[in-house]
Amino acid sequence: MELRTFRGGIHPPYRKETTAGKATVEISLPDEVVIPLQQHVGAPNNPVVAVGDKVEAGQKVGESDAFISAPVHTSVSGTVKAIEDRKNFTGASVKSVVISVDPNQPTKWTEKKNVDDATPEQIRDAAKEAGLVGLGGAAFPTFVKLSPPKDKPIDTVLINGCECEPYLTCDHRLMLERPDDLIAGLKLMMKAVGANKGVIGVEENKMDAADLLISKVCSEPSLDVVVLEVKYPEGAEKMLIDAVTGRRVPPGKLPSEVGVLVQNVQTAVALYDAVATGKPIVERVITVTGPGTKQPGNVLVKLGTPISHVIEQCGGLSGDVAKVVIGGPMTGWAQKDLSATVVKGTSGILALTSEVVDTNAEQKCVGCGKCIEACPMFLTPNYIVKYARRGQWDLADKFGARDCFECGCCSYVCPASIPHVGYVRKAKAEITAAEKK
Amino acid sequence: MANSKFMATVSPHLHEKGQTIDRAMRDVLIALTPAALWAIIVFGFNAFLVMLVSIVTAMLTEVVMRWILGRKATLKDLSAVLTGLFLAFLLPVTTPLWVVAIGSFLAVGVAKELFGGLGKNIFNPALFGRVALMISPLWIYTAKFVEPFWWRGIGFFSPIHTSINNAVSGRVIYKTFTGGVVNATTSATPLSLLKSGKMLTNTVTGPTPVGATWLTSNGRPSGWSLFLGLKSGSLGEVSVLLLLVGACYLLYRRTIDWRIPVGVLGGALFIFLITWNHPLYQMLSGGIWLGALYMATDWVSSPVSRRAKWIYAVGIGVFIGLVRLYSPWPEGVAISILIWNVLTLLLDRYVAVPKFGEVKKPLFNRLPAFPKPKPIRVEEKA
Repeated sequence: MELRTFRGGIHPPYRKETTAGKATVEISLPDEVVIPLQQHVGAPNNPVVAVGDKVEAGQKVGESDAFISAPVHTSVSGTVKAIEDRKNFTGASVKSVVISVDPNQPTKWTEKKNVDDATPEQIRDAAKEAGLVGLGGAAFPTFVKLSPPKDKPIDTVLINGCECEPYLTCDHRLMLERPDDLIAGLKLMMKAVGANKGVIGVEENKMDAADLLISKVCSEPSLDVVVLEVKYPEGAEKMLIDAVTGRRVPPGKLPSEVGVLVQNVQTAVALYDAVATGKPIVERVITVTGPGTKQPGNVLVKLGTPISHVIEQCGGLSGDVAKVVIGGPMTGWAQKDLSATVVKGTSGILALTSEVVDTNAEQKCVGCGKCIEACPMFLTPNYIVKYARRGQWDLADKFGARDCFECGCCSYVCPASIPHVGYVRKAKAEITAAEKK
Repeated sequence: MANSKFMATVSPHLHEKGQTIDRAMRDVLIALTPAALWAIIVFGFNAFLVMLVSIVTAMLTEVVMRWILGRKATLKDLSAVLTGLFLAFLLPVTTPLWVVAIGSFLAVGVAKELFGGLGKNIFNPALFGRVALMISPLWIYTAKFVEPFWWRGIGFFSPIHTSINNAVSGRVIYKTFTGGVVNATTSATPLSLLKSGKMLTNTVTGPTPVGATWLTSNGRPSGWSLFLGLKSGSLGEVSVLLLLVGACYLLYRRTIDWRIPVGVLGGALFIFLITWNHPLYQMLSGGIWLGALYMATDWVSSPVSRRAKWIYAVGIGVFIGLVRLYSPWPEGVAISILIWNVLTLLLDRYVAVPKFGEVKKPLFNRLPAFPKPKPIRVEEKA
């Protein structure tokens, strides 16, 4: 049987086997954590603690009155050492709360209450209070997604278990290790938005997870597991909706336009935790891997932990490491140094050697059209680059600069090694700036 | 913790292995090797000289032109080598070497470098060079074809001299090893036979090395000899089989897009079928396979989007059919591709690529016909 998928995309080498079989382990605490006050898409938070304050794990340290925002909590107990600008993983300066870690940490959030009678209202509140955002990487506030506009009813909640990025295996592990909580989280989401169908999409290279989930949902008519072709970016929101439901979200619209809500596996589990125990998002599973990592694995990390500490806990770096990437190899951010910290949207830390990273010099476009062939959004990346280079932002927009979600398929296949994504980001910033005027 | 040794470039951090311009050029050279070897076998050592002169001139031209224009040398990308080989493939073995050199200079120097270098050229450079020679006063030098295995009896290394003393018909003179001169009449190509309605009278006697029959009883080459490459013609076009073998490799390497050859061949076949003008014979003769598989698929001078590629490819095919049937020329591949090379500018600009999920799928881009150029150079962000 032909597996369901979308048109376009690429087949990069996945290299997941290094960590796919390794159970998640918790790593030790660092001496200090740095909690950026903005870890989500939307309005930044204001600090609600002061320097010198004693804070307890799970205590809110930043919040905002804006609708599209998510509060942040301290992941550890300790003392607020400073509130200052620190560089985050994208290299941008973000106001952050620096906390020196107390050696005695409380044991919390162990008592689970029954979530069956939670009302949609309670679920949304729990998501908001927990500071929950999309943990796949986009970091869009979850409770906003759980509050769809009245005129756009949602009939299907899709859980993204594709993990189409090469190297990463944290979602895969979570599906294997906490399938019941995942399904409970899915049901909570369905209840919150009033959907009658819940689907978990899993790529075919994780059949053990798919089989496990199928065995759990087979007795429930409203739930389904769909096995999808292994292709990047299968887990991109619009691609996943197309592959599973056959509905295509129009350009510039949200998935609610076609009655679908998409959430990542980790988000579903975290939502269950938030509703059942009141636990805010203070930790997450990330994959530490790549040929330059001594002991690759999947680790449970407190948010705010510097990546240098995480790498140290995984045995450190070895060999000629050309790039350290936060996130996946296709969309992640290359780091200048190891000072950035793990935030809500961090899915992995990769140490890539010069053997695997793209080191080709940029050449002139030769018009082969491979980028168009690969683009899952059916854009023309070559023209976006062409007009962005000339500063013709309106034309760059016409050819889809703002419809691009920066998956990087175009650059992956480009024989001239053109960094399309860089031009797209520049164009997006310019277009938004021009619109504000 | 200033570990500045890490590269901090924009995502994605992976790149498809072996997907570079140099590699693509190398792949095409590999794909052309069987046809090149066959050309030498069929047309003698002289064919090798034509290719050599064409390639060396192309490389020299690129180096000199780029130096004059103040650009970095890019010999490494092999595109000059490829253009040189392609041009040789388009010429008959009788072309004097100095004419080959001029053609090669026009291809690389004018069609490629003066247009802005690889990526900016509107025309397929080799085709441009070929047609430039064809419409120049030198045309007579590029219009004399000889029979396959003409060198049998006088020697594989026999040089060829094309004289235009008799400007109307032209003469080809083979020189033998011993210095003796054989004055020979030229051979018609299968297509010119068809055009003139004539039959081939001066034949190569005896079986050919692969044992296929050169002529059928009606005085024209048989389908098999056309397919295998036992016909007169330009160096590279004669063996459909070997061109196909090379193209299979390129399709496997995903260097060429299957849509273009399918469109070109389909478009031409359509014309020959509806006019019922020797469809099989037409499809196996001339440069249609070389054009469809290797010339029309040139990355730079073909459109980029799928829909535009289809229009371009079928357009070329139809034009080939029309030129062959309704023009004074026997062959129309080069001119058809060049015309569509120009139309590609319009196709790329106005044929729309509907975005994912677009409800009203537009057929054409609404763009200003004459956009105001804004020469702002954006700093390229690392």
